Amino acid sequence: MNSDVAPDPDLGPGAEETGTRAPDPHDGADVVRRRWPRVLGALLTVALLATGGALYAEGRQLRDTSATANRALTDAEATTRVTGDVSSALSKIFSYGPGATATTRAAAKEVLAGKALQQYAALFGQVERQSADQKLTLTTGVVRAGVTRLTDDSAHLLVFLDQVHERRGRAPTTASAQLTVVAELRDGRWWIVEIGST
Amino acid sequence: MTSRTRHLGGWAVLLVAALVCGLGAWSYGQARGDRTLSFAKARDTALTEGRRHLATLNTLDGKSARRVDDGLRAWLDSSTGPLHDELARTRKADAKSLTTAGDTARGKVTSAALTALDERTGTAELIATVDVEVTPRSGAAGTQRKRFGATLARTADGWKVKALTAIGTGGGR
Repeated sequence: MNSDVAPDPDLGPGAEETGTRAPDPHDGADVVRRRWPRVLGALLTVALLATGGALYAEGRQLRDTSATANRALTDAEATTRVTGDVSSALSKIFSYGPGATATTRAAAKEVLAGKALQQYAALFGQVERQSADQKLTLTTGVVRAGVTRLTDDSAHLLVFLDQVHERRGRAPTTASAQLTVVAELRDGRWWIVEIGST
Repeated sequence: MTSRTRHLGGWAVLLVAALVCGLGAWSYGQARGDRTLSFAKARDTALTEGRRHLATLNTLDGKSARRVDDGLRAWLDSSTGPLHDELARTRKADAKSLTTAGDTARGKVTSAALTALDERTGTAELIATVDVEVTPRSGAAGTQRKRFGATLARTADGWKVKALTAIGTGGGR
């Protein structure tokens, strides 16, 4: 590169001169004039770095991981799917007739896993006895269901249920139930792993 | 030579600084323009504010006329659209009957979820279970468990409740 040609006419000569010559102590004003491009450059550098850093930080904050890590509703397809799967699973496992509790029990093994399966087994033992004694029929339907948290392989849901109890020879009664459900995606299917009441 | 090196060094530092600034701006721009991101944020905001408003709408201190008035004002602040209009219309009658009854209710949202969100129109559907602790003027306090479906609308002042339905047994649709 040619040393006579400075990349910038404003900055060039000043910087070159201060570098090659000792500043003249008698000419303070001249020194200031020679220094200002460097000061300006330094200030500009700092300003650019600060702006870049601030913008990056702001962007990071916007990306706030807790909001984006939750794909409930943002991934409409996955949300609909888990809601549908969990709803139909709950309707199945909480519906039974006097002679058909075995079917329900079998269905439960297809949709429940882990803690939920244990909870259910304990509960269903009583139910089976009652159902046989009292000719009880229970029909459960999902009224509303919403996903509160959804990741690649786990989901938290709030589900409103209506349960119709029918005892032979009596008018059916309807009760409402609200459950919080934790589901996990295993082998391409949603399994209910935890059931809690709200 | 030293001067030229220093000179070029200065430019290099400036160039790097400009690059850093550019990268920062690009990263920020990407985040700003991310539709999924703004949707997720709107979802979380709507849920948080919806929960708060639902608790407010299930809360009323009936100990004195002034407190009832404060409670009713809070109801108006939490609502918008049709619900707001209705509450405003019945406010006088409500104040009278609620003061006469003198019951105090405190609502607490135990669980809530959004079932739908339309960011473009600024509406959302919320379902929630609410425990309402009712203390009558005389007698023992009791807790009622209620479930609600609420339509939220985005206003200049945040998300507000536009419509509120108690989802009783039998669907309440």
